[in-house]
Amino acid sequence: MNKNVIVIGGGPAGLEASAQLQNMGYNVILVERTHELGGHLAKWDRLFPDGVPAKSVLDSLLANIGGVKYFLGTEVQSVNLLEKSYNVILSNGITILANAVLIASGFDLFPAEKKEEYGYGIYDHVITNADLESFFASRKDKQAVPDPRIPLQPQKIGFVHCVGSRDEKIGNRHCSKVCCATAVKQACEIKEEFPQADVYCFYMDLRMFGRNYEDLYLKAQKDYGIRFIRGRVSEVAEDIDKKLVVKAEDTLSGKPVKVTLDLLVLMAGMKNSGAGQQVGSMISLETAEDGFFSCRDSVYSLQKSNKNGIFFAGACTGPKTLPDTLHEARAAALTVHNYMKNFE
Amino acid sequence: MKERILSGYDNFVLPFMIGMVFLCIYLLIGLIRILKHIPGPDRKKLALSFINPRIIYKDCRDILCDCLLHVKIFKRKALLGYMHASIAFGWFMIIVIGHIEVALYTPQRNGLIYYPVFFRYFTMENNHTLRGAFFFFLMDFFLLVILSGIALAMYKRVRSIALGMRRTTKPSLADRIGLYCLWAIFPLRLLAESFTAGISGGSFLTKPMNFLFANFLSNDYHILPTWWAYSTVLGTFLLVMPFTRYMHIPTEAFLILLRNAGLKVTRPRKGFAEAEIYACSSCGICLDACPMNMQKKNLKYSSVYFIRFLRRHNTRKINEIADKCLMCGKCVALCPVGVESCAIKRAQRSTVTDGLYYDYSYLKTLSPVPANPADVSETMTDKPVLYYAGCMTHLTPGISKAMKEIFRAAEIPYRFLDENGGICCGRPLMLAGKEKAARELVRKNTELIRAAGCDTLVLSCPICFKVFREEYDLQGITILHHTQYIENLIRKGKLKLNATSRSYVYHDPCELGRGAKVYEEPRRILERMGRLVKAEKEKEESICCGGSLGSLTLNYEDRIKITRGSLKALTYNHPDNIITACPLCLKTFAAQSPVKVMDIAQAVTENLEAIREPAASGTEKTQFGN
Amino acid sequence: MADFGYSLTPSSRIDLNKADRETFGKLVKLEPDVLKCMACGSCTASCTAGVYTRTSIRSAILYLQNGREKEALEFIKGCMLCGKCTIVCPRAINTRQLVLSICKIYNLK
Repeated sequence: MNKNVIVIGGGPAGLEASAQLQNMGYNVILVERTHELGGHLAKWDRLFPDGVPAKSVLDSLLANIGGVKYFLGTEVQSVNLLEKSYNVILSNGITILANAVLIASGFDLFPAEKKEEYGYGIYDHVITNADLESFFASRKDKQAVPDPRIPLQPQKIGFVHCVGSRDEKIGNRHCSKVCCATAVKQACEIKEEFPQADVYCFYMDLRMFGRNYEDLYLKAQKDYGIRFIRGRVSEVAEDIDKKLVVKAEDTLSGKPVKVTLDLLVLMAGMKNSGAGQQVGSMISLETAEDGFFSCRDSVYSLQKSNKNGIFFAGACTGPKTLPDTLHEARAAALTVHNYMKNFE
Repeated sequence: MKERILSGYDNFVLPFMIGMVFLCIYLLIGLIRILKHIPGPDRKKLALSFINPRIIYKDCRDILCDCLLHVKIFKRKALLGYMHASIAFGWFMIIVIGHIEVALYTPQRNGLIYYPVFFRYFTMENNHTLRGAFFFFLMDFFLLVILSGIALAMYKRVRSIALGMRRTTKPSLADRIGLYCLWAIFPLRLLAESFTAGISGGSFLTKPMNFLFANFLSNDYHILPTWWAYSTVLGTFLLVMPFTRYMHIPTEAFLILLRNAGLKVTRPRKGFAEAEIYACSSCGICLDACPMNMQKKNLKYSSVYFIRFLRRHNTRKINEIADKCLMCGKCVALCPVGVESCAIKRAQRSTVTDGLYYDYSYLKTLSPVPANPADVSETMTDKPVLYYAGCMTHLTPGISKAMKEIFRAAEIPYRFLDENGGICCGRPLMLAGKEKAARELVRKNTELIRAAGCDTLVLSCPICFKVFREEYDLQGITILHHTQYIENLIRKGKLKLNATSRSYVYHDPCELGRGAKVYEEPRRILERMGRLVKAEKEKEESICCGGSLGSLTLNYEDRIKITRGSLKALTYNHPDNIITACPLCLKTFAAQSPVKVMDIAQAVTENLEAIREPAASGTEKTQFGN
Repeated sequence: MADFGYSLTPSSRIDLNKADRETFGKLVKLEPDVLKCMACGSCTASCTAGVYTRTSIRSAILYLQNGREKEALEFIKGCMLCGKCTIVCPRAINTRQLVLSICKIYNLK
């Protein structure tokens, strides 16, 4: 058989779905906008709950995509519905007639500078969760230039949860799902890196819902002595020594708290990928109020879109953990497969 | 025919006289009421204004320009201006010339109120009046002018956009009666005068019409009924005037006298405010001006309806609109009459909130913040500047950081008054109507600022800036918004900026632009750094960012719509950056804008040119050391 | 309650049975947003008056729901209406107007 499936997005969802579809005997074309495969996973160091190296997961994913045609640095220029298939034109000039399109465009990290009161891009020692992962990843590389924003011997480090999540003012009401666990993981890791440092986590609710996540939380409390403060940070100031004065309310004691930190990590949340949305608008895919694509329903047909022949996998339909994303990728491959039977 | 000229009276003048007498009594009572409610010192101010030649000159000029010629509307929308001016000025001229005619030809009738109005019924063309053909010409000319205005007004009812108005006011029943009377008065006058033109004489309009009518209406039976109709319509108009928007005709002039005497709104319904309320002409220019009206459902919150409900004493509606208003001041800035509806709204809010409980006893414990020694370098000769960031600026640290950098670059010693938190300036309380509570903050802040001992106070927040300038007694201290201060530094050569090819659009924050009339300084700064492009609406017509503290009850969803509308107007010419000068505007825009939004101070620090080479700065220091 | 023949110091427990739901209902009708609070504490943390006093609209809402009106007032009487809490509230509650409405409805002195 000679049926084409085009997969848009070369992150974990796109890679896994491509591998599965290829296995099923389809002709898979993977389109990736950037110049490397792996999406956000390629920039991550370790994964919660137990610190599996991101690289090992990525390597497994890449190992399975033999036979998949992929284009890097390539964008989708137009998608047109023909009778029962889609005519997709890519920015490298190639035109593909696809029987099915799988959208795996993932998410964008919330731009933390939009929450100006936290001082990202303004103060010297404010970074995001992604910056911290790059820092961890670069530790193994002796040649890498260390991030100047991270002091050599920080004494006090803070994590701000829900940056750009659960915040109507910034247009994201949704919970980004993974930041709680990521924050607790990173808090432990940074404590390992700088054992002398006090680490504070400012949270609103700790949503440690997955298997072993609660154990991670317990470990952070018991083994690493991370201090959890229930209150959203409202503003950050910089003092004369470039230290950060963080203001929040300790809602459990009902008192405002102030703490001076050497490093502040913002847990930037997820929003729908801007590039993905562009593709979506070419085929007028519905997006929900939170900006992510709408699935056909919220329980049974999560991989289907409102258009026949267009499917979803991963975080393009809402924040997801990596295991969830991989499950979705496999489910999407199967959904595409069932759909393809119509053509026989 | 002879007898009417000899007696100078006919029964048809009665409707007019009834209307006129009623109106005069009504106006007299209204005048006494307003004067009674004006506080004593203000009444004295008013009395004194009548002997002050400067104010008298201003009164005359304002009445001519605003009430009669409607210069303000002309400047924005020429056709709309012509419509208003033609009716107002034309009518005024007809009254004046009418009186001149009476005084010239029938001096014995001087003092009869109706006589000039119906002059042509009571006069006969003879050698004596013929010499006044010039006046006859003027009378016809101004009648024509008015008729053209009326024609435009009728057309505007059908298609308002043709005269530059997207929306017009929904008239009340009384307004409708008044409106139709007004439309009928002048055509009827033309008809009546044309019928009698054969006897009384006329000019280029009435004479030919007389000939025309004579061709098919050969008897005189229709003369009297037309004069009756004219008088009745005029009388009805005068009779209903107190209950319609046309009350603005007499009140506007009175309001100008009060305003020029320096009176201010103190109560929402009485005294000066009452004059403002009756001076509203319900023209509806505020409908298009109001930023809330990005959504049609919010039309009902426009100032024109606020004033209407005030006239009707509908307290529930009055409060609803007063609390909703953003207090951006655009309707006040564009109002042809200059009704200060925001001040009235503030006074109205006060009736509800001023008595609410509060307790600021903690203010006593506050002591002045000691100046940070690191900020005041020994080597600097200038007297330190006091910098007050304001509450909101603590949420936009980019601004205060940029200001610090600017002080450093210009080598100006400064003290940061509220670096570790201060107290509010009091303006938000005032906007909410809590005047009494606000005074406590004003008192405390004055004390703190005096204790800091500086002679220049620089503010980053326009809300603070406005209140510091207007409500604080800080004599001897120059109060500047940072836009003005930075512009000063540039002019003195203390700051040098790199010219870039970036394009900037400037958003006028309500409190800085319309509120404090600072329009040019920020634009001059931007022109030095890059290309300043125009917004679709700017300066006086700038659209509120939607984040205003002025509104008490406007919900977030509606605010977002305003923000997006405002951004649309700002990005009209596709600028690289949106520049503003208010922390609240910055915060509000940043969440929604497709283009990068910055405060002007941040933009300046991005383009700072190193003033002195490192070596040169060393020599500077030794100089200071001497 | 059983009579033990001696009195106890009044219970510090919040008694939701005795909480004034009716007045709170009036507040909800006027300011439905009051129900949206997720107690994140942003308002308290950013409060200009909060540096010197116990001002906290979050606590006020909580105490009103628990029927402790007198204590609730303690949390808002120092409010300067500067509006920072309204700006930072992630649930877009109009906290500034809420303060005024609480004062109006509970008419506390």
